[in-house]
Amino acid sequence: MKKTIQIPLGSQHISLLEPIRFKFECENEKIIGVDADVGFVHRGVELACTRSFEFKQVGYVVARVCGLCAITHSLSYTLAVEKLLGYVANDRIKYLRMLMVELDRIHSHMLCLAHTAENAGFEALFMQIMGDRELVMEVQEAISGNRVQFDYISIGGVNRDLTSELVDLVRKNLTTLSEKMEILTGLFDNNWSLSLKYKGVGVLTLEDAYTYNALGPLARASGLATDVRAETSDFPYEALGYTMMLESTGDIHARNFVRLREIVNSIAICRNIVDNLPMGEIQEKVKGKPKGEEIVRIEAPRGELFYLVRGNGTNTLERVRIKTPTFSGIPAMMEVFKGSQYADAPAILASFDPCMSCTAK
Amino acid sequence: MKFFTPFRKKSPWILHYNAGSCNGCDIEILAALGPKFDLERFGVINTGNPKQSDIFLVTGPVTYRSRERLVELYTQIPEPKVVVAVGSCTTTGGVFRGMYNVEDGIDRYIPVDVYIPGCASSPQLIIDALVKAGEILESKSKAIEKPFKLFGAIETIGNKLSRLNMAKKVHDDED
Repeated sequence: MKKTIQIPLGSQHISLLEPIRFKFECENEKIIGVDADVGFVHRGVELACTRSFEFKQVGYVVARVCGLCAITHSLSYTLAVEKLLGYVANDRIKYLRMLMVELDRIHSHMLCLAHTAENAGFEALFMQIMGDRELVMEVQEAISGNRVQFDYISIGGVNRDLTSELVDLVRKNLTTLSEKMEILTGLFDNNWSLSLKYKGVGVLTLEDAYTYNALGPLARASGLATDVRAETSDFPYEALGYTMMLESTGDIHARNFVRLREIVNSIAICRNIVDNLPMGEIQEKVKGKPKGEEIVRIEAPRGELFYLVRGNGTNTLERVRIKTPTFSGIPAMMEVFKGSQYADAPAILASFDPCMSCTAK
Repeated sequence: MKFFTPFRKKSPWILHYNAGSCNGCDIEILAALGPKFDLERFGVINTGNPKQSDIFLVTGPVTYRSRERLVELYTQIPEPKVVVAVGSCTTTGGVFRGMYNVEDGIDRYIPVDVYIPGCASSPQLIIDALVKAGEILESKSKAIEKPFKLFGAIETIGNKLSRLNMAKKVHDDED
């Protein structure tokens, strides 16, 4: 007699923003085996970057790899090309780029918190977080002109300046947001019904995180101290008040808490940036064609984003390789599902904050 | 059928499918369902079941692997149904046009009623499109529920049908 049953999740499902298919091998309610299929949204961006676009356009093309962390994609590519061209951005450009990356991190983390809450069955909490998230979206729209796909960063600088009215708006909205974050942190910490769905569910231990190469908030929730912001020196994160947020339990609650505390930390970084914004040009002329090979690592909202750019001195690049955080996180993700209840699967999945369009490109 | 019509008019349910989009339009749909833009005041509810939905929201330029699922979902939605293409890449392929795994927009596979431009489409545009889609849905359901006469009405309808007119023209030319 067959003792296990197979239950599919996806590729189209109410709890999924993007197509991904899981095949769960279940024993009663318990998941004992997982099979994931992630390649539904493969478009072929990498090849198109080397064939149909010039290197000045590619920055805007790779932004369309992912809508949530678009700014980190264009930033990594731009940094790689600027290194090949031997150009170092001035402090104002660096600060403005950091500002947008941190704002993007805030909105991405809030979306993840909201989505996890919705998938765990807390519709009102979803609405509350989405409402608070609009404060950041407002700031992003005011600074860059678009809510999601900013196209803010170009080779040799940024496309728009930060005026004093914008600085006032950033300060005002971030102050309101940090008050809301206090309320949310209290809610996530103390609410009893949230703890039933979050605490002790979907645990990733430190050894597993280490073995399966977990990245970003997923690893930090298990206590693995890995963050590209602390490891690289492309941007002055340490000077602007960056601290690494670590939890130890590794369950959904810990992941939520890492995200909540990172949002608070990012708000502090953004405030420091607008308070200490240096003077300077926002767009500088960069001459030449990329020649050689360069590697860039940037901390995206989900973990380490890796770019390899190789040019041969012409307008078209030879190779663009993108390795995204979710792609590296899939083995750890599959491990966590084993042993948990099937009913918790959507919430666990959302707590990883998976980004399929990043993974499949 | 008559009993359900007024309800359907007031509350079109949506089915959302990502056919290879970059996530930008998807999170804007979520934002439109959120409290600031509040799509639910039009009675719109996001449902995961094609058999309960009226409006099909598609994002993305249709990748090679998602086209079968797209058509499958479309056929599972009961009539009357309205298809909304969200975003530039859904309408024409956008920045992904010409990439090797991309089919350049959904209107190669399913008929589209409302196109939304923008990369990414803002929630205001999505709300606009859904209001428009609601109107189209209403007219489609009226057209379905209208009694259709098979015989006797052919002369009056036939004058309006272009194919019949063309046949007439050919006939006249032969004379």
